[in-house]
Amino acid sequence: MTHILFKLLQLLVVLLLGFVLTTYVLPWFFRCFLRILGYPAEFSPVTQKRIRRFRAIRRGYWSFKLITVLFVTSLFLELIVSSKALMIRYEDRTAYPALCEWLNMAWPFGEVSSFNKKSDFGQIGESEVDYRQFAIYAAHPALMRKDLEKERTALTAEKEAYLAEHPTPGPDARRFEVRRYERAMKRFGKRGETLLALEKNLAVFEGGRAGCWMPVYPVGPGDLRYDLKSNPPNRPSLEEGVPLGTDMSGRDVVPLMLYGFRISLAFALVVAGLGYGFGILVGGVQGYYGGWVDIVTQRVVEIWGSIPFLFTIMIIASIVQPSFWILAVLMVVLTSWLGITYYVRAEFYREKAKDYVQAAIGSGVSDWRIITRHILPNALVPVVTFAPFGIVAYIGSLVSLDYLGFGLPPGTPSWGALLRQGLENVKFYPHLTIIPTVALASTLYTVVMIGEAVREAFDPKVFSRLR
Amino acid sequence: MHGMISYFIRRLLLIPITFVCITFMVYGIMRLSPGGPIEQARTQMLMAQMQEGGGGAFSQIGELALPQDAIDQLKIYYKLHRSIPVGYMIWLGVWPDDDRGGIFSGIIQGDFGISYRYSDSVLSTIVSKFPISVTFGLIGYLATWIVCIPLGVQKALLHRTWFDMTTSLAVFLGYSIPGFVACLALMLMFGTSLVWDLFPLGGFRSENWNDMWAAGNIWWCIKDQAWHMFIPLVGYVMSGFATMTILMKNSLLDNLGADYVRTAFAKGLSERRVIFLHALRNSMIPICVGIGGAIGLLFAGSFLIEKTCNIPGMGLLGFNSLIERDYPVLMGILVFGVLIRLTGNILSDLILAFIDPRVRFK
Repeated sequence: MTHILFKLLQLLVVLLLGFVLTTYVLPWFFRCFLRILGYPAEFSPVTQKRIRRFRAIRRGYWSFKLITVLFVTSLFLELIVSSKALMIRYEDRTAYPALCEWLNMAWPFGEVSSFNKKSDFGQIGESEVDYRQFAIYAAHPALMRKDLEKERTALTAEKEAYLAEHPTPGPDARRFEVRRYERAMKRFGKRGETLLALEKNLAVFEGGRAGCWMPVYPVGPGDLRYDLKSNPPNRPSLEEGVPLGTDMSGRDVVPLMLYGFRISLAFALVVAGLGYGFGILVGGVQGYYGGWVDIVTQRVVEIWGSIPFLFTIMIIASIVQPSFWILAVLMVVLTSWLGITYYVRAEFYREKAKDYVQAAIGSGVSDWRIITRHILPNALVPVVTFAPFGIVAYIGSLVSLDYLGFGLPPGTPSWGALLRQGLENVKFYPHLTIIPTVALASTLYTVVMIGEAVREAFDPKVFSRLR
Repeated sequence: MHGMISYFIRRLLLIPITFVCITFMVYGIMRLSPGGPIEQARTQMLMAQMQEGGGGAFSQIGELALPQDAIDQLKIYYKLHRSIPVGYMIWLGVWPDDDRGGIFSGIIQGDFGISYRYSDSVLSTIVSKFPISVTFGLIGYLATWIVCIPLGVQKALLHRTWFDMTTSLAVFLGYSIPGFVACLALMLMFGTSLVWDLFPLGGFRSENWNDMWAAGNIWWCIKDQAWHMFIPLVGYVMSGFATMTILMKNSLLDNLGADYVRTAFAKGLSERRVIFLHALRNSMIPICVGIGGAIGLLFAGSFLIEKTCNIPGMGLLGFNSLIERDYPVLMGILVFGVLIRLTGNILSDLILAFIDPRVRFK
């Protein structure tokens, strides 16, 4: 019980850090970034009023805070939910494997090795250190001693039992008996050596010269839960330490859901960002130049928009296994830039007729500068009001593609893949359906709430009505 | 009026161009992709060999399991020996097909080809799915209208009250859950013994439906159909509820603030009369525009929902032909889908021009 409370406390601290980062640190960076780009650090009075109105809509504002804090926190998931230790120390050797993993995620252009050999850290073998085991022994060396003693007695007992059954072969023994005996002795000898080495390392653990700091939830998204008694899928059970159960291949659902949240939201943000950037450009050029440029590009947009995009992505995905970025670019190219062009085009038509634009044209400002600096800040309202609904749609598309098996590569933590498993096991393992459904519905609902509030704040309709 | 006619003629002329662009692109992608009919035939042959011969055929996996002349025959049969543009034009029906005596036979002539998988005419395969699509499409459409229009009107009249807020929350919840996820959740809750074992776990009809129909047991048939259709139908219509309801509400609110409503009140008409006779009629315009999309009823079907609920409709046909690389069927579905969408758009504009005299297209 205290164990769970302690975990919850850790989680609270993590979320608090995420909150501080999201509300204070990141806006500061964002403002710096804008200033470097040359946009004014202060919003215009109209925008300020809109933001005030948005904040006044409690439901939407708190949804916005919740989603941003959760997403920013989820950017650090490698440090929070992972089977690799944050810090591991053994005698004079120290390593930060989780941090390396996080760096690899955050900086995809270089690779830091997060691999630590077992033999370097008081365990036997050349594979990756078993951090959970290490953490337990580092915290409770007495447990290690007990385990080792148990193993020692088991080994002695087994050896005696073996010798009682198969006595040492004499000189006239058959050859296979000798071979069998030698093999068995070699086996026992190896176990004995391992035990001896571990007993030597015991001193390090007992002397407090080994330490390990594990993440809050010490299971990563790709790790199979071998420590459970029954075969996967496992139902949720707090006693066994799987609060949300495991999926069909034995992966823990908690990291799957959390990493899936990050991937879904990041995907939607990337698709929306790239698509809206391109769509604004096209729509701006259409609306600014008008005439033939407008007519031709408008036809292209119409034709392009008639392509059934989910179908086309599925055809392409059945040929090449798409990665995150390929899938995002496909979504951008096939759908996400289209819808926004209509609105930006209309806004540009409207703004271009206004005096300030004519004045800018008259004073010889370049077209590019007029489009990006003069008109664009005034034409962003439809973009802002559309973005949340776009994000809902793109998360939905990613989940659908994963659900059908045409999405991200197998093994990627994804809600859609989990839903597919849920469909296959709808009768016997309801948790595989319930958990992703609840996560998906609540995430999308929160984003829709943001969208509603943004629309109301940025594009208010005042309805007057007689009675 | 003259400008309007030329506008619609221009729109109609744009249909073939759009159509050719889309189908040519998809045709090209399909032809370039591996895993076409020859690979399918090869796998089938390999499977057959493995079943009869055991391990012997296994050593030949790397080698061809098909003789070369058989491959050539297959290529000619599926027109794969043509270059992509020529193959496309044959498919379209504007290029003579030399292998069949130089006749023009493509989709323009109504020849959609033969399905790789079912060895059946693509057109009849697709048409055989129309009843399912129409059943779902029509009932879903009616359900949306019956629920959303009264709800939208009520929400507009009770704007910013408790009723408005709660129904908004409910409607947006429906909007935010993808339809197939809702189906899955409903199947879990009402298709298994978790909450209430009420509905079946997928399927379009019971197995003995046709026998019962032949026996004249119509009441049983309708009940069985409704029983199977409830969950997928909810998935179909749920996400449409929000847009329709909010559209109705906003459009009515717009009209209620208009001057002519003020005039009507000033004349001393009763509130009921003003709202339901004057304002409501005008606020139905944006909703009626959607009628043009009703032509899509013929083609209604989402592969997500049909795969989840295991309904053998248009969506599942498309999904299965995609998995089995049954390109003639895929292209056929694409043709229907694109044509229906394009005509639906034009139909919507036409309807708008008819019911709203203020609208001018040029």
